[in-house]
Amino acid sequence: MTVLILTCRQDVTADLVVAELRERGVPLVRFDPADLPGDAAMSADFDRGDFTGYLSTGGRLMSMHGLRSIWVRRPGQPAAHAKEPSEWLTAECGQALYGMLYATTARWMNHPGAATLARCKPFQLRIAQRSGFAVPATLVTTYPRAAHEFATEFRDIVVKSTSGPPSVDPPVTLPTTRIGPETDFSDVAAGATLLQRFIPKQADIRLICVGDQLFAARKVSAADQVDGRFGHHGHLWEPVEVPDRIARSVYEYMSLTNLAYGAFDFAEDEDDVWWFLECNQGGQFGFIELETGQPIAAAVAAWLAAPRTSEGC
Amino acid sequence: MQPFALSHAIPADDQSPAIVPYSYNVALQLNVLSDGRPAIADRAVLLATGTTTSTAGSKTHFDD
Repeated sequence: MTVLILTCRQDVTADLVVAELRERGVPLVRFDPADLPGDAAMSADFDRGDFTGYLSTGGRLMSMHGLRSIWVRRPGQPAAHAKEPSEWLTAECGQALYGMLYATTARWMNHPGAATLARCKPFQLRIAQRSGFAVPATLVTTYPRAAHEFATEFRDIVVKSTSGPPSVDPPVTLPTTRIGPETDFSDVAAGATLLQRFIPKQADIRLICVGDQLFAARKVSAADQVDGRFGHHGHLWEPVEVPDRIARSVYEYMSLTNLAYGAFDFAEDEDDVWWFLECNQGGQFGFIELETGQPIAAAVAAWLAAPRTSEGC
Repeated sequence: MQPFALSHAIPADDQSPAIVPYSYNVALQLNVLSDGRPAIADRAVLLATGTTTSTAGSKTHFDD
C-alpha cells in the first residue's frame, strides 16, 4: 500500500516526511499535479461496474487500488508546467486527477473539500468559538460605519487580510497592522475588511495537530510586536506544554472541520491566556521541528502509514 | 477608492526566487545537496535559506 504525497519539487518540508516514510519501509510516490500532463500521467477506467486508476511520475506507477493515504502538502496547479498552459487545461486536469483520487477510499491529510472550508477566516472564528477557544472580538464588514463603531468600542484594533496578499507586480505583503480609532474607514466600502481587537501579547504560540498528536512551540514577542511572521528580534521557538483546556478545544475544532492536520496560531497575553488567531490547514511545521526538535514529521509519516479502514476502491 | 486592507500593504522584502544549495532528485524523491547528501541532512542550510519557515510559501500558497 502506497502513500501519495502531492507537493512541488522544492518542498523540503515534504522531504522530512519522505525520509521518515522510507525509514519505515513504506512505499511512497511524490507527485506534483503541475507536471500533469507531461512528466506525469494518469488514467482512470470505469467499466463493468469496476474502477481502476493509475498515476505515474518519475518512472513510478501506482494503482488507485494500492493507495493507502494522500498528503496534500503544497501541490502545484494542475497543468502549470504544460507546454501550453491555460485555465481550461488546469480545470480539465484538476477535475480528472482529483476526481480520480476522490473515488478511492484512501485517507486524506487534508481532504480538499475540508481544506477549502477550513481556509475561510469567518468560518474558522465561528468554529473556534464553538470549540471553546478564547477568540478576540472580530468584525468582517463592508460597512464603514460598522468599522468605525468597532474601532470606537475597542480603541486598539488590527486589520488583517481574509485571503492573503494580492497577486500584483511588484509583489506586496499584508502583515497584520495595528490601527487606531481615528482612522478613516470610508474605504471599507471598497472591499470586505477584517478588523480584530488587538491582543497585547507576551508570546506567539504555534500548535501543530497531527491526528491526535499535539506539538506546541512558544516564541517570546518583542514589545508591541503585532505580526509574529515579520521582524526578527532574536527570540527562538521553544517547546511548550499544551494546557488540557486548549487540547480539548483543538480536538473539538479538528472534529468539527474534518481536518487531520492543522497549524494553530495563538497570541499569549500577560495572563497566559492563549487567544485563537487562526488555524492554517496546511501551515508550516518545518521551522518548529528544526528549532525545537519535536518529531512532527515522524507523526505525519506515522499517520500516513497507518492502514486504511476499508478495503477496495 | 481601494479596499481598506490594501492601504496597509507593504512591498515584499525579497522579490526574487530564493537561491537554494540543493536540487530535486527524481530517483530519491528528495532534494539533495551538491555532494549528494539529502538537503534535510544539513539543518543549518535549511534554517539559513528559510525554506521551512512560515513565510516561505506565502508567495505561492496562502497557507503558511
